[in-house]
Amino acid sequence: MKFDMDYIAHNNELTETNPYFKLFLTAILLIVTLALDNLYFDVFIFVVMSIVILAIAKVNYKSYLKFLSLPMAFLVITCIFLIFFFGKGDVIYETGIFGIVVTTDSWHYGVYTFMRVMGCLPCLGFLALTTPIAKILHCLGRLKVPKIMIEIGLLMYNTIFIFLNEIDTMQKAQDSRLGYHSYFTSFKSLGALSSTIFLRSLDKSETLQNSLDSRGYSGELPVYEPRKVR
Amino acid sequence: MLEVKNIKYSYNSEYMALKGVSLKIERGDMVALLGKNGAGKSTLFLHLNGIYQPDEGKVFIDGEELKYDKKSLLKFRQKVGIVFQNPDDQIFAPTVEEDVAFGPLNLGLPMEEVQDRVEEALSRVGMSGYEKKAPHHLSGGQKKRVAIAGILAMKPELMVLDEPTAGLDPQGVVDLSRLLKELNAEGITILISTHEVDLVPDYANKVFVLVDGLLIGEGTPKEIFAQPEILEKANLKVPIITELFQKLEDEGIDMQEDYPLTIEEAKEKFLNLLNKN
Repeated sequence: MKFDMDYIAHNNELTETNPYFKLFLTAILLIVTLALDNLYFDVFIFVVMSIVILAIAKVNYKSYLKFLSLPMAFLVITCIFLIFFFGKGDVIYETGIFGIVVTTDSWHYGVYTFMRVMGCLPCLGFLALTTPIAKILHCLGRLKVPKIMIEIGLLMYNTIFIFLNEIDTMQKAQDSRLGYHSYFTSFKSLGALSSTIFLRSLDKSETLQNSLDSRGYSGELPVYEPRKVR
Repeated sequence: MLEVKNIKYSYNSEYMALKGVSLKIERGDMVALLGKNGAGKSTLFLHLNGIYQPDEGKVFIDGEELKYDKKSLLKFRQKVGIVFQNPDDQIFAPTVEEDVAFGPLNLGLPMEEVQDRVEEALSRVGMSGYEKKAPHHLSGGQKKRVAIAGILAMKPELMVLDEPTAGLDPQGVVDLSRLLKELNAEGITILISTHEVDLVPDYANKVFVLVDGLLIGEGTPKEIFAQPEILEKANLKVPIITELFQKLEDEGIDMQEDYPLTIEEAKEKFLNLLNKN
């Protein structure tokens, strides 16, 4: 199954819930989780938010696992580094290699960082998986976040999909011609892919600029307020 | 309505994309611009609303010369709407309705008016009910229609479409040409670039042929498709129907210099021929 976060955000039980509420809830939960820095609370938040996402928003559990697994690699690597290479204090475990040791301090850092991230992930997931980006950006606009940041966010969001599509198509084309047959060709293909993508995105950005100008773009994206549903 | 006088444009010192193009389009016309890939059709189009500024030559809209300051550009871009070939290049907003609203909002219209126009434009292209959808979840044909709605909502007097049928399925092509005919009947002048000749006689009342940055032919579809040398230069063919009747003539049936271009014409001709024998 393909993991399409945007599709999930548009099609779940909480899509139409007030986005301000979701935004504030997420922000508050994040702040509380980080401020309390309590292992039990982290676990509690993780469980509660996971239940909200799976049972109330009715997000498919496979998609949710996929969402969690994406940042997991970074998290695990970070924590391994924290545990083995940082901190002072009493040594609690000696690996015997190059004098690398685990100290009480580093163990503390590692575990707490891991749990904190685990607590925060479902909070962010709650927002990301239930709220279409358009709504989030609207809220931010109303909350007086600088316009330029919202516009950059909007254009980036739009281009990411074009970009991913382009990469997908090119990769399939390369694969069809055995571009990923061996390690060596894989490297070559990937190199060609990245340089072409760069050139193409320059091209695309120019066309996008032209088409925006054609519709009277003045350097500022206007905000549309849809009519209230009667 | 629109007049282009001797436009020249080069992308760099070696490559001249337009080598002096002049053309005139009257209000209410439905014009096809024929030409092979790379003939300069898209380049020409981007001159019509001042995205590109010609090296030489001038563009007139309603007898008024196109100027390149901000205020005049906004005015002309409202009058001349361009639908880009690839809807992905044009649709940028996260929802359909926001994208359609983009043009009218740039014109500085009040929100009420914009909402009306968005509703109207979307229902015009048959996309009502998709207001809140994300454009990248739509099919190619649907994206195309949203792109057209985005231009329609600006209420242009001239609508320019760059290869609108590219990438559409047969039913999509039929629907699109019906929509364009309707819009034309309501008074919007339409200019379409294409190299699909079969449909051209069906909608266009005027045809231009562009080859390597030069206009080499101009006239009604009948006139243009009666000139094989022009078509050959432009890498084009006569419509498939016409080809059939030319082949029949080779077999010894006299066509009296009149080759049908559309299915309707062909039907009449056929019946005539049958009755005669």
